[in-house]
Amino acid sequence: MKIVVAYKWTRDPEEARAGADGTVDWSRAKPGLSAYDPVAIELARRLAEATDAELIGVTAGAVGVGAAIAAKAALSRGLDRTVIIEDDSLKGAGRAELAAVLAGAVRHIGDVDLVVTGDSSVDVAAKMVPTLLAGELGWPAVAEVNELTGEAGTLRVQRAIPGGVQVLEISGPAVLAAAADAAVPRVPGMKDLLAAGKKPAEHLDLASLNVPARNAVLTVTSTSRPERKARKGQIIDTTDPAAAAVELVQALHGAGAL
Amino acid sequence: MSVNAWIVVGDQPAIGNLIAVARALGGAAGADGQVAAVVAGPRPVAETVAASGVDRVVWCGGPDDAPAEASAPAVADVVAADPPRVVLGGRNPGERVLLGAAAARLRAAVLTGALSVSADGDGVVVVNAVFGDISEETVAVSGPVALLMDGGSIPPAADRSVPIEEVTAAPLAIKVIETKMFGFDEVDLGAAPRVIGIGRGLKAKEDLALIEALAEAAKAEIACSRPVAEGLNWMGKDRYIGSSGAHITPQLYLAIGISGQLQHMVGVVGAETIVAINSDPNAAVFAQADYGLVGDLYQLVPAITSALK
Repeated sequence: MKIVVAYKWTRDPEEARAGADGTVDWSRAKPGLSAYDPVAIELARRLAEATDAELIGVTAGAVGVGAAIAAKAALSRGLDRTVIIEDDSLKGAGRAELAAVLAGAVRHIGDVDLVVTGDSSVDVAAKMVPTLLAGELGWPAVAEVNELTGEAGTLRVQRAIPGGVQVLEISGPAVLAAAADAAVPRVPGMKDLLAAGKKPAEHLDLASLNVPARNAVLTVTSTSRPERKARKGQIIDTTDPAAAAVELVQALHGAGAL
Repeated sequence: MSVNAWIVVGDQPAIGNLIAVARALGGAAGADGQVAAVVAGPRPVAETVAASGVDRVVWCGGPDDAPAEASAPAVADVVAADPPRVVLGGRNPGERVLLGAAAARLRAAVLTGALSVSADGDGVVVVNAVFGDISEETVAVSGPVALLMDGGSIPPAADRSVPIEEVTAAPLAIKVIETKMFGFDEVDLGAAPRVIGIGRGLKAKEDLALIEALAEAAKAEIACSRPVAEGLNWMGKDRYIGSSGAHITPQLYLAIGISGQLQHMVGVVGAETIVAINSDPNAAVFAQADYGLVGDLYQLVPAITSALK
């Protein structure tokens, strides 16, 4: 059995700032493994250990996503090897394009039984790459997955639904997006980091994947910073909690909020 | 007549906003563009959609034990047979899968933060929020585009219903074995005028009683930050607010024990008034609030509850 984990090396918008014209300044944001990807790797790794499967990472993006530090961060989480498509034509690529490239990599690896992704990426947070990837491959996609058992051909998947959970059986290859709380990722130790440096990281040439061009062209014609409501920023003295509460309630009545 | 907009529908016919967006686009493009819906959920969903004012409905539901996701390739086939200018889907796991399948088949662009959509010649112009909504891009699209948007509410029945076209296609090999409900109350946070959000500042699940008393006094709904719904599982996931959760615009939002990270606050930037209660005077939430109370929520929350009574 071959299990692929699609991961993203990117930056957190929490550390970015938008200028007055909407231009996003990423200079203070350090790249890292996207927040929920360690959960995906952990969930996939447990199934890989239970079924003696090979666990393979895949990532695609602009130059930098295949840097040694990036590959090591992913490999130290328990992947057996990783496959990297690093090309500056993917700088700022849309999720549809990235999904098509990832699909090309999954086909290149061959005989893949399962692809696991994180819940969402820390930068875009759209939760669309797994569904687009499944669309490219013609496989089923299931999101919010919090338990994963079985083996290739008879996977048992539990996913969260509003107010409960649902157990699904999948009898073929699939793309699964792990729920953000599906597993507590292990923190890699020094031994894992040393081992990661010796694991294979294969770089694929984007052109070799023959990813068909998109039918749509996007042109950003302008950017702006969203207008935010100005906040009063009034701090109410809480030395006496009861008095503070009365002051707050009066202020809220005054503001028409109650 | 050609199809101008396809709406993909899963288990719930909550597509009122998508119909409005599609209609506005069709109007600008001239009268020949249809608004069509393709339904992968149960048959009654298709019946509700057929009476919602759309021009055309295709139902490609699978066997009873197949989830909506099993019909994703069938949905993609239907959409690709009549290629539209836009495909619209709501922000729930099932519709994301249907939208992804349709977008992959059309080789369409995908945008997920659309604030407004308008027609421009043969293309569309989308104002799209990006990176946790810190910036907005105006994007001109030529070619097909898939838009993931808030579905809105279930549309009221129109005075006419369109016939349901049925497509039978082999579903993907995925079936539902079991469904277990936890018994959390479902909530429509978007409709609540006052919302209390709790974060990890609340120490134990039993302490929710304090918050429930406040909610009753303030006639507010209770919501939470992501870790409270996920890691801690104290509440249903439909109650968490943030970039990948609910976006709400209540009159009043009370952030209690919430630090104020971008991923959470982006869900409440539209609130009329924001109150923050946190023991850490340096918490980011205070810079984003109208009224800030620095202190112990276990003292302040009961005090506010009594002051409201």
